[in-house]
Amino acid sequence: MSNSTIQPALEVKNLTRRFGDRTILDHLSFKLMPGETLVIMGGSGCGKSTLLRHLVGLMQPDEGEISILGKEITQMNESQLNLVRTKIGLLFQSGALFNSLTVGENIAMPILESSYVNPSIADLVVKMKLELVGLTGFEHLKPAQLSGGMKKRVGLARALATDPQILFCDEPTAGLDPVMTAVVDTLISDLTKKLGITAVVVTHDMTSAFRIASQMIMLFQGRIIAQGTPDEIRRNPDPILKQFVNGEADGPIPLRLSKDDYLKRLLQA
Amino acid sequence: MDFIPLIRRYGYWLIRGFWKPRYIRPNALFEQMTHVGVLALPSVAMACMFMGIVLVMQGAYQLQQVGAIDYVADLVGVSMFREIGPLITAVIVIGRSASSITAELGTMKVSEEIDALEVMGVDPVRYLVMPRVAAMTIMMPCLTVIGECLGLFGGALISSFSLGMDPYYYGSRLLQAVFLRDLWSGLIKSLIFGFIVGILACYRGLNVEGGAEGVGRETTNSVVLCLKAMLATNCILTALFYFF
Repeated sequence: MSNSTIQPALEVKNLTRRFGDRTILDHLSFKLMPGETLVIMGGSGCGKSTLLRHLVGLMQPDEGEISILGKEITQMNESQLNLVRTKIGLLFQSGALFNSLTVGENIAMPILESSYVNPSIADLVVKMKLELVGLTGFEHLKPAQLSGGMKKRVGLARALATDPQILFCDEPTAGLDPVMTAVVDTLISDLTKKLGITAVVVTHDMTSAFRIASQMIMLFQGRIIAQGTPDEIRRNPDPILKQFVNGEADGPIPLRLSKDDYLKRLLQA
Repeated sequence: MDFIPLIRRYGYWLIRGFWKPRYIRPNALFEQMTHVGVLALPSVAMACMFMGIVLVMQGAYQLQQVGAIDYVADLVGVSMFREIGPLITAVIVIGRSASSITAELGTMKVSEEIDALEVMGVDPVRYLVMPRVAAMTIMMPCLTVIGECLGLFGGALISSFSLGMDPYYYGSRLLQAVFLRDLWSGLIKSLIFGFIVGILACYRGLNVEGGAEGVGRETTNSVVLCLKAMLATNCILTALFYFF
């Protein structure tokens, strides 16, 4: 079968979102084929999480289209969107676990709510997903009893509970130690390479990004300034991209003011 | 989430729930009924009993001046069933349970738990709002009945000790003065209060923004809004029961 007959798992066309006078996402377009991992990079406040929220239907764009698994979601009603959402999973930056439920109940929830499933089957799936993220035996604890890193791993297990076709991750390795970061990266890689899951990962951990990505995009002030494979991104001479990828304090990304600008800002009324 | 879509979705799941009870989440409903109703019982009981005592004392003060002290039982009975019972119960439940619902849902909103539900394809209205509103609607009349009984008991207690009224005489005057219509009008008020307070508390909770400060602010706003809505509804219903 030629590539032209395989539809993209995710396709975004001219996505635009404004808040008042500010354009947060400015005519973004990209696509992702099944089994690939897209890493979305950018500085703090560049719109990465806003983009992710649009991709899972939590926000509606002002212009543009988003297609998930061939279905255009921006004009869907809530019931239609919920059908699409049964095929995706999202790992929130903070985990977003339900504090009134145990770890096991958190992971079982999407399984039990999506259709009627025997509770013993759900228990088995919970054990399998906890094994996957290295938290076997933790099903009876409450989220308040977990560390930040553990919460994130439980969040990942919950996102994977219904074996989604597309996995969205918002900073999956933030707050994890280097070993656990490598474990999560390996897990995401295995899911995409061995099980054919498509992944969209928002991160500014460059080590993780280059480890897992098959496609990368860099956002800056709401626009895509670089797009391509990890090798293409490394070779890209764009100075903003290079400053971000190399983690340099000085450069075209204006994080530090010049002496004159600093004095001007201090003396402004 | 806007108010009208919230009501619409609540109605949708209520109708669907009659065909497939699984959608109603009976365990969550019973848990909420315990939290909203059973645990509020001591506060409601105490408040209504004190109101019964106050009604007798305030009523006796006026009635004895016109030589109609015997009518104090009639006053307590009719007021308690038609007005004081449902009103005081609603005020206690608003202060205790509505604020708790708004704070809980607001905290879930700011920690992205509501978003997590939506991304899983679970409607937060079905999962969170329905059990709470249903519990509030069911338990408010139940609490009102118990509150009214204790209000009458409080009135009997103070009548006996302070006014020297024979408790049997108090009871017989009560039975003569109070009609079934008085009881039903109070319970219908309670039912409607329960629904309005529940839906408003959930509405404010689902629209919290701004972190912990937002949760605190909206919890206060929720209590004020529920009180205003309850008092306005009480006014309308009292007029309706009066004229019809």
